[in-house]
Amino acid sequence: MAYVPATTLNILRFSKLSRLMSMYPSHFAEPNLNKITDRKSASHIPVKAATNDLSDSIFYGELKNKLIKYITKKGNRNLAKELLNETFETIKRTQIERLNLNKGDKTSVIINSEQLLINAIENSRPLLQLSAIKRGGVKYQVPVPVTEKKSYFLAMKWLLDAAREKDRKVHLPEKLAWEILDAACGQGRVVKKKDDLHRQCESNRAYAHYRWS
Amino acid sequence: MSLRVFGLNLLKNNRSLLQNALRNNGAPGAQVLAVAPYTTQVTVQATPAAVQKQKVSKAMKAYLERANEHDEFMKTQDLEFQIGKRHLANMMGADAETFTQEDINEAIAYLFPSGLFDKRARPAMRTPEEVFPARKAAEFDETGRPFHSMFYTGKPNFFQLLHDIVKETNYLYDLEERMLRRGNKPDENQKLETAGFQLLSKDQLERVLVEHIVDIEYQSFTNAMERLMSSPYSYKSKAFIERFLKPLIDQSKQLEVPKPKIDEQGRQYITTYECLRKTARADVTVRLPGTGKITINGQDITYFSMDECREQLLFPLSYSEMLGKVDVEANVEGGGPSGQAGAIRWGIAMSLRSFVDQEMIESMRLAGLLTRDYRRRERKKFGQEGARRKYTWKKR
Repeated sequence: MAYVPATTLNILRFSKLSRLMSMYPSHFAEPNLNKITDRKSASHIPVKAATNDLSDSIFYGELKNKLIKYITKKGNRNLAKELLNETFETIKRTQIERLNLNKGDKTSVIINSEQLLINAIENSRPLLQLSAIKRGGVKYQVPVPVTEKKSYFLAMKWLLDAAREKDRKVHLPEKLAWEILDAACGQGRVVKKKDDLHRQCESNRAYAHYRWS
Repeated sequence: MSLRVFGLNLLKNNRSLLQNALRNNGAPGAQVLAVAPYTTQVTVQATPAAVQKQKVSKAMKAYLERANEHDEFMKTQDLEFQIGKRHLANMMGADAETFTQEDINEAIAYLFPSGLFDKRARPAMRTPEEVFPARKAAEFDETGRPFHSMFYTGKPNFFQLLHDIVKETNYLYDLEERMLRRGNKPDENQKLETAGFQLLSKDQLERVLVEHIVDIEYQSFTNAMERLMSSPYSYKSKAFIERFLKPLIDQSKQLEVPKPKIDEQGRQYITTYECLRKTARADVTVRLPGTGKITINGQDITYFSMDECREQLLFPLSYSEMLGKVDVEANVEGGGPSGQAGAIRWGIAMSLRSFVDQEMIESMRLAGLLTRDYRRRERKKFGQEGARRKYTWKKR
């Protein structure tokens, strides 16, 4: 299942749960940048205002925006953005170095750091999760499927957690860049964490029926 | 006059027609409810003519009493309304005879200015027919026998409506099968257009039926209607379906696009005043033709130090492919950088409508550029650390 950004979809999306305190009523659609939507059916649908992180520039990325939000501490989004940019720079530098060292085919090395981020997140997305369910006074670790949204969240959180667990002397962008590069190749701590979780779910499959009984 | 002539014909004991005519006679000035075949006014005259002399059941007696009471009540209310209207007209120095409802509204707004936000909470004066909801006429005859077979469901009109919908659906299914056997196909040109329409909401349906319905009943109504509308031959029962549809506002044609003016250098320009976002407020002028120059409070785009804000300014320009073709001048005050950038972005998008075609305006609307962002900072709540966060709770 490849990653499909929501802005490239050709339909108007509605938020599934209308938030309780939302300024917009539930029949408002999310803004859509795609210019070939079906106009006739859309002409009666009111649209939410575009948020201030949405834009049609080539630097815009949905996953990138999400990751910036997770990096942010105490509302300092500017700093988070700088850190991510620095990360991308580090990734690109190492990849170009690799490309130049690689004598054989030059096409096997991906230089696009945003593509690498997407690959890394795709590789570290979990399918199942363990949740503690109490049955008969005993807590069982029951494997439960993860929704798509939550799996993206977990992947990004694990990447960040791995990056934040470091020496004081190492700068976050550097460590994050290494984690992303590792995960993009399907190795490293984050992918291992995902595999461990999957293995645990596999060994606890006998408890799976506790989810509904 | 016509009513009286009508009434004479109706002595031939045609019950339902008599009821209809007398209902209209009883309340000549009553407001006409949209699509309200079920609405009936409570009047004493609305009861069958034979009632007055024959033996009357207890239910009928009680009903007559209630109807009488209601009639009296409405009469006094109407009288009071007329007197009030006269007083108002005198106060405003207008002619009482030609004082319309609009004049009344104006006078009330002038004499009782209210700062209440909700319009329904402000003082108002309306005709008693509008204030007091319509009631049903007698649903049973003088011996207490109900007219409608579903009287004892308590909601005869609603259940009758469900029956009608299913009847139409079954008819369409039959038709479809017959056409299929004959090898005919439904006419694509006559297809029912429901894109710009919506089913009546629950309270609108309640007003049409003069009956209270609960959520689950409304849901069965919508389900039945959707089944009816999804039939390929639904255009055959168009008249029936349209009774329960209401048109939606066309969002793309809602705002009028202003005509550009000409300045002293012969360039077209549009100024959008009051561009608001958060606490920022901006006036934006867009000039065509230009070279893509952006001026904000006398400075260029470096007025904003953050990339994000600069990106926001360029978003509507690049989206409508007008980057480098127009000049933008903006005066902005209040708020922080992102609020100011948002205000200017909205101003640019609104002004650009005058210089692009209808297709582009619609795609700008779908991109959310033409919607005013009304979101504001959520207030802090007492007993909480912030808007949502609670204080740390310790049992002891």
